[in-house]
Amino acid sequence: MKSGFIRALTCLLLLAGAWPAQAQKFIFTPQWTAQAQFAGYYVAFEQGFYREAGLDVEIVHPSVTKPALNRVQDNESQATTLQLCQALEIIDSGLPLVNILQTSMNNALVIVSSKDEDPLQQKGMRIATWTAGFDQIPICLSIREGLDYQWIPNGSGLNLFLAGAVDGTLAMSYNELQQLRQAGVAITDKNVYRFDEHGYNVQEDGVYMTRSYYEQHKDEARRFAEASRRGWEWAALHPDETLEIVMDYVTRNHIATNRILQKFMLQEILRLQVDRQSGQREFRLRPDMVELANTLMVESQMLLKPIPYDELIAR
Amino acid sequence: MKKLFSFIRQSLSAKISIWIAVLTGLVFLASLGFMFSQSRQSVRQEAINRAEQVLDNTVQRVTNILDRVEVATNNMDWLIVRHLDTPDSMFVYSRRILENNPDLNGCSISFEPYYFPGRGKYFSAYSLRENGKILSTQEGSPNYEYFTFDWYQLAKLLDRPCWTEPYFDYNPDDIYSTGIIASYCKPIKDGQGQYIGTISTDISLEWLSETISAVKPYPNSYSIMTGRGGTFFVHPDSTKLFYQSIFTETLDREDPDRYALGKAMQAGEEGMKKLKVNGEDCYVFYKPLGETCWSVAIVCPERDILGGYKRLLKAVLIIFFFGLVLMLDFISRVIRHELRPLGHLTEQAKTISAGDFEKEIPDQGRIDEIGQLTRSFTDMQHSLVNYIGELKDTTAQKASIENELKVASDIQMSMVPRLFPAFPSRDDIDLYAAMTPAKEVGGDLYDFFIQDEKLYFCIGDVSGKGVPASLFMAVTRNLFRIIAQQGHNPADIATQINAVLSRDNDQGMFVTMFIAMADLKTGALSFCNCGHNPPVIVRPGEAAEFLPLKYTNMPLGIWDGGEFTGESLADIRESVLLLYTDGLNEAENEQKELLGNDAVLQIMTESAQKNAHDIIFDLQLAVEHHRAGVIPNDDLTLLCLRLLKA
Repeated sequence: MKSGFIRALTCLLLLAGAWPAQAQKFIFTPQWTAQAQFAGYYVAFEQGFYREAGLDVEIVHPSVTKPALNRVQDNESQATTLQLCQALEIIDSGLPLVNILQTSMNNALVIVSSKDEDPLQQKGMRIATWTAGFDQIPICLSIREGLDYQWIPNGSGLNLFLAGAVDGTLAMSYNELQQLRQAGVAITDKNVYRFDEHGYNVQEDGVYMTRSYYEQHKDEARRFAEASRRGWEWAALHPDETLEIVMDYVTRNHIATNRILQKFMLQEILRLQVDRQSGQREFRLRPDMVELANTLMVESQMLLKPIPYDELIAR
Repeated sequence: MKKLFSFIRQSLSAKISIWIAVLTGLVFLASLGFMFSQSRQSVRQEAINRAEQVLDNTVQRVTNILDRVEVATNNMDWLIVRHLDTPDSMFVYSRRILENNPDLNGCSISFEPYYFPGRGKYFSAYSLRENGKILSTQEGSPNYEYFTFDWYQLAKLLDRPCWTEPYFDYNPDDIYSTGIIASYCKPIKDGQGQYIGTISTDISLEWLSETISAVKPYPNSYSIMTGRGGTFFVHPDSTKLFYQSIFTETLDREDPDRYALGKAMQAGEEGMKKLKVNGEDCYVFYKPLGETCWSVAIVCPERDILGGYKRLLKAVLIIFFFGLVLMLDFISRVIRHELRPLGHLTEQAKTISAGDFEKEIPDQGRIDEIGQLTRSFTDMQHSLVNYIGELKDTTAQKASIENELKVASDIQMSMVPRLFPAFPSRDDIDLYAAMTPAKEVGGDLYDFFIQDEKLYFCIGDVSGKGVPASLFMAVTRNLFRIIAQQGHNPADIATQINAVLSRDNDQGMFVTMFIAMADLKTGALSFCNCGHNPPVIVRPGEAAEFLPLKYTNMPLGIWDGGEFTGESLADIRESVLLLYTDGLNEAENEQKELLGNDAVLQIMTESAQKNAHDIIFDLQLAVEHHRAGVIPNDDLTLLCLRLLKA
């Protein structure tokens, strides 16, 4: 009896020793509903990279009533993804943010014209845009080039464009552009204006958290960024498996999309992550792109003053 | 397979059966092909008509509902404009439109931001039918910015009434329709024609979806409905609803047919296209749905439309195939039966060919070609028997004649000296002669004898061949010997022979002769050539040549009268003299080519050193070689003489 008790105690002690330390809860909220745009984070979660980094990450997508930034502001989520221009606007409005991981190295914005004509030749055209934003660079373009575009906020997808109610629409090359192709819209060399090819190549998606949270959880932030980066690198190496993971998330979240669209989205997102100069996935915020974004947005009076590079990055 | 081909080659019935089967098969196939081609077109056209009718009915039913929505909305327009001074009346109207139209699911009368002073940014009077009750509320909040929604903006931007795409409504702050709806929207304009808001009436798509889904003209057909972006709003595969468009699959792999169908449906066209759906050939009938920019289509697999036709085709082909095999067997049996007498005839022919001509062929009483052939064969058999009998007689007669001819030949040959050496006791004479008639008996002759140290010799060729010539030859030879033995010179001999031969020569026969007399002491040669080939002479150490002749007399027997002229050579000793008939130089081969004088001279030159026997042998060999198996065209007679000095 005595020896049995000792053996049981020994086992319990051994089990306790083998058990990992309690992982820290970390809620990550991508800025949009589930799709291949966030594939690297899904991969990091599904492949256990976060767990290996000692993080208990939960991916919570935003809702209509609770956008991603609100969750971060309310400390319901610890990190979110934002485009660089969005981040600059938010910092300028008084909420210090820190970029802990930059994934996008190129701009994905395009303008698609309903006519087979260069959008830059159509002054004053009515262009549908997102109600959620993402239109800073196009507005800068309109002001800079004197195009006087009329922006039509559209909360229901691409129907305004398809119905001919607008002359053009803003689109992300990885998302709406593919949706337009899916709707039978012919994408030609003429009717698409790609910002990254015309001096407006400003980086987009990065992972941000409030500076206050960052200052208190630097190590946690570093580990999350590192594990997320591993997720993206794995996704680049295993696109087919990644697509399976993405489709799993898409299905669980009842997203109105399909495998083909998500495949194109993943391909494009991974392409946008490769820096044009180095040909590498650098996962860094480029000072020159921050400076370009600052210049454009200050010119267009979207920022009161430029946001220094140092204010953005994690140290 | 070789055995089969061999059997077919050897069997007339098999050959005829196969030809009949092939021809019949071709005719049947051509007829069936034409019939089925026409039937296929008819079936297809009927199916198209049926599917189009079903589609028309469906579209009409749905359009009737949509029209009611449009009419109800349009009728409300003037009331709204009339009561713009009382915003709350909008709730009454939005409610009333639902009360008056049970087809409608909801109605909102929404205005531009801050349109009504004191009512804030948002004013949208919204009524919703829920569980049979009508609920009303004022919509609009930061979480429900209706200004940005399609049902509000489309009418505003297009500046005309229109339908939205089917959608799910969601208002986190208020009531909303829980199912799929579509809205008919109309811009509201004030008295100045200024846009001030949108009236939007909603219908549930459940009924529409069920109505369209129920359209199933064929067991495996189904219906779809697409929006202006090609998105599926009705589809039997629920995973495609709202998630995929008709173009989705064309993004990953080219499918021009599907793309063309999508574009046609998008463009509001009506029609039919054939394309592959999930690898199966399908006909797709499509038609726009009123003014909605949606399109309804019925997808009908070809196997459904042409299923009965294909089953019939398969059954007919199977029947045809087995019928053809049976027909082949039947025809083969009939032909074999009908041709059986031919088999008997064949056996009979074999028996006859084996020598039994007497075997009776049974007459089967047929009057057709086979019967005629049998009778003809019997006639032929009788004729053959008669012929064989006659042949036997003829053969016996011929054998008798041949025997007589053989005797004649022997007699003829016995008339010329055939013992060689001719003069064994003399070593100054080397003489050899040979005669080969072209037939049993010939018209050539030669002769020689010694009298008073003089060698008389001659060679001749009677005109014609055969028995008459042989008789003329016998007469001539006897005349030569009788006259020559009287000691005449060759010219006199010729003159006397001619006198005898030409007398009573009713047949007009004649003989060419070379008559010569050699003085064995001196070697002098006297001769008379009576129309005969000049002899060949090979003088010692010289090449052979034809003996130069000063006089060539006429052949003997042509007419009586005149003297024959002779000639002489001083000494022919050590020379070789060849007398011959034209069977030598005019020997023909298969190509009718003659041996020729040059060849004769060449042989003689080459063989001059040989004895007379060998020279004759060489010449005979040359003739035989030249003829190369061809039957001799003329008698061949050779006489070779060499006088040697003592």
